[in-house]
Amino acid sequence: MEKDARPNWDSPMQFVLACVSYAVGLGNVWRFPYLCQMHGGGGFLIPYFIMLLVEGVPLFYMELAIGQKMRLGSIGAWTAISPYLGGVGLASVVTSLYLCLYYNIINAWSFWYLFHSFQSVLPWAVCPINANRTAPIEECERASPTQYFFYRETLNISSTIEENGGIHTGQALCFLLTWVITYLCVVRGVQSTGKVVYFTATFPYVVLFIYLIRGFTLHGAVNGVKYMFTPKMDQLANPTTWINAATQIFFSLGLGFGSLIAFSSYNQYNNNFERQAITVSLINSGTSIFASIVTFAIYGFKATINYENCLERTRILLLNTFNLAEDTINMDNVFEWIEKLNATYPEQFNEIANDTGNCDLEKELATAVEGPGLAFIVYSEAITNMPLSQLWSVLYFIMLLLLGVGSMLGNITAIITPLQDFKAASLFLAGLVCLFCLLLGLGFTTTSGNYWFTIFNDYGATFSLLFIVLIEVITVSYIYGIKRFEKDIEDMLGHRPNWYWKIMWVAISPLLLIVLFVFYIVNYIMGGTPTYQAWDKEECSLAVIVTVTLCRCLILLQKSLTNPWIQTIRCITAKI
Amino acid sequence: MLDKILFLLCLASALADERCMPDTPHGFQVRLSIKTALGDEAYVWNENEMFLFRASLAFAMRNHMNGQQFEVSNIIVCNETMRVSFWFIVTSPLDTSQLIDQENVEAAIRQSRNRINSAFLLTDKTLEFVDILPTLATLYTHPTPPWLIVFGVVMGAVGAGIIIMLVSSVVQKKRKTNGKPQDKDDDEETRVKTVENGDAHDGVHNMSFSEDERFTKM
Repeated sequence: MEKDARPNWDSPMQFVLACVSYAVGLGNVWRFPYLCQMHGGGGFLIPYFIMLLVEGVPLFYMELAIGQKMRLGSIGAWTAISPYLGGVGLASVVTSLYLCLYYNIINAWSFWYLFHSFQSVLPWAVCPINANRTAPIEECERASPTQYFFYRETLNISSTIEENGGIHTGQALCFLLTWVITYLCVVRGVQSTGKVVYFTATFPYVVLFIYLIRGFTLHGAVNGVKYMFTPKMDQLANPTTWINAATQIFFSLGLGFGSLIAFSSYNQYNNNFERQAITVSLINSGTSIFASIVTFAIYGFKATINYENCLERTRILLLNTFNLAEDTINMDNVFEWIEKLNATYPEQFNEIANDTGNCDLEKELATAVEGPGLAFIVYSEAITNMPLSQLWSVLYFIMLLLLGVGSMLGNITAIITPLQDFKAASLFLAGLVCLFCLLLGLGFTTTSGNYWFTIFNDYGATFSLLFIVLIEVITVSYIYGIKRFEKDIEDMLGHRPNWYWKIMWVAISPLLLIVLFVFYIVNYIMGGTPTYQAWDKEECSLAVIVTVTLCRCLILLQKSLTNPWIQTIRCITAKI
Repeated sequence: MLDKILFLLCLASALADERCMPDTPHGFQVRLSIKTALGDEAYVWNENEMFLFRASLAFAMRNHMNGQQFEVSNIIVCNETMRVSFWFIVTSPLDTSQLIDQENVEAAIRQSRNRINSAFLLTDKTLEFVDILPTLATLYTHPTPPWLIVFGVVMGAVGAGIIIMLVSSVVQKKRKTNGKPQDKDDDEETRVKTVENGDAHDGVHNMSFSEDERFTKM
């Protein structure tokens, strides 16, 4: 009887699209624009591209090479490289598992918003009315309708992480749906994933393009784009800029999870992955820039709308206080009138002085947001101000969904592929993994779920990944040997890698990773007790809360579980 | 001439009620934003419009306090400004020295707010009664939330997709296992046939078992 041959992608295009779908994720949309704004706009592109060339592409290339050569998942591949280093593969699988636990909750939120877009009035556009029918609900009035919808109706968030309420049924249903869809995409392994990625990789670009056109035709969008692209070169002297560029490239490409090894293990032996590695990395960075142009157009629109609303409020206030005829003050001469009235009626003006004169377009533009806050609060607010908002809302949340599901497919494959190398039953293995992650992930649908999500998001994978990739690159360069690696690549591609790649793998990338690693450790130690932002029901805004030791234990527990090798090192270093 | 002027002055002072003043505890301030609401089609605020306002307020009071016949003269207005804002108080039709208290006036306005608004082609926001909170219209609450319907559709489609996938893979597996025994029989037959062909060349033709006759039947 013939042994089952390893399944393959139907074409190299499927593999490239799978990598693109995996690498291009939510981070491109909600993290990169924030970094761009924080670190000097157009000037940030310089460290970003340098890091891409020095760190991103070489490491991406290396992971694809390993997968395609060894034709096994991460555990098998690393065991084949060196029997003592199977732990690296195991660490990748565990980190992927952590990610799979919490990442799908974002997709659940996207589904929730998507389903709520099918109404004549978007529920996050207006505040619901209170029981007396006299005014909107107070919590909503003091915050904003979009914040209220996210924190109260979507999450039903509690005040601290210790208050665990019940499960939000709507959230749990959407969460179940996302896991069912994920299962559907991976149930037949590469056969099904390969078909799905045609859609998940390409449709987000369609939506982004539509949004680009829509964004640029919005009133005031140019303000935002101008603000973003004016480079503030002095930020380049700040080391944090370079560190952030390096970490962004690193996490954006999804290195260290084992997904790339898993994907490339299904390649034909002679597939030209060198060209594909460069292509995918460039597409990923290009998408980040593309998405940030769109984001800044939207920012500009939102800032202009807020600014004009502020001017309008001030105008009405002046008209009402001084009983002037309606057409004396219009939007253009508000500031002149403020000065005039201040001069002529100083006492009366003093009473309202606090509410006037604080409309500032620059200040509106400077409010930078990242993470789910950007995607679900800022963007939805901008959408409510567009005509035909239901259509834009549906398009946008479908895009978020596809970005999220694409990344999820990579991570689920990173778990399933190594396990499949050991066992045969693929039909039920995928189902078991999905079921396991579903049940554990239900914890994120409770009222304190968002805080747990933040812990996992901030601490779950960052530290471990740096360590894993550092060990990977040192292993390949020194333990396995760069010469052996070169020969393997020549075997597969027909030519040896350039001197450039070799220098990167042997010297520059490990050095850079060590710098990042040290930076993370120093930051973590200097940061003191970790804090998190909690939604204060009274103040109706986010407030910083110091975490309890509970979270500290969780973080330490997670780190010690990641890698038997890490434990060994820790034992060794502890003894020194 | 002089007594005419004196008469007019007395009339004016009789009409201007000193109980009507800004921040009066018995009345309310009204603010109209006609240009904001109607833009180019805004009408000019003049005495006739003021008359309509007083009449509609009288109508509101009549609706609320059944039986009492409020007249336009019972609504007293003062402190009109360029903003188009003014204060008003309401006197009782039975005794003009008596003022209707604020709660009743507020309740009356609340009840007939829509009618007053539509008389002026304005809304709750543009015809403001300061300190009277409008009764906000609640949004239409659907019996089944629409999101649940969309969720049901998507979930049904995905569930159907999974069942189809699982069933088709089970059917494929069954076909494979049914196909394998048949293949084995075919192999044996072909092997047997080749052996037979070989024997026909090598061995002796055994006449007792063959059905062929060397000689054709007659």
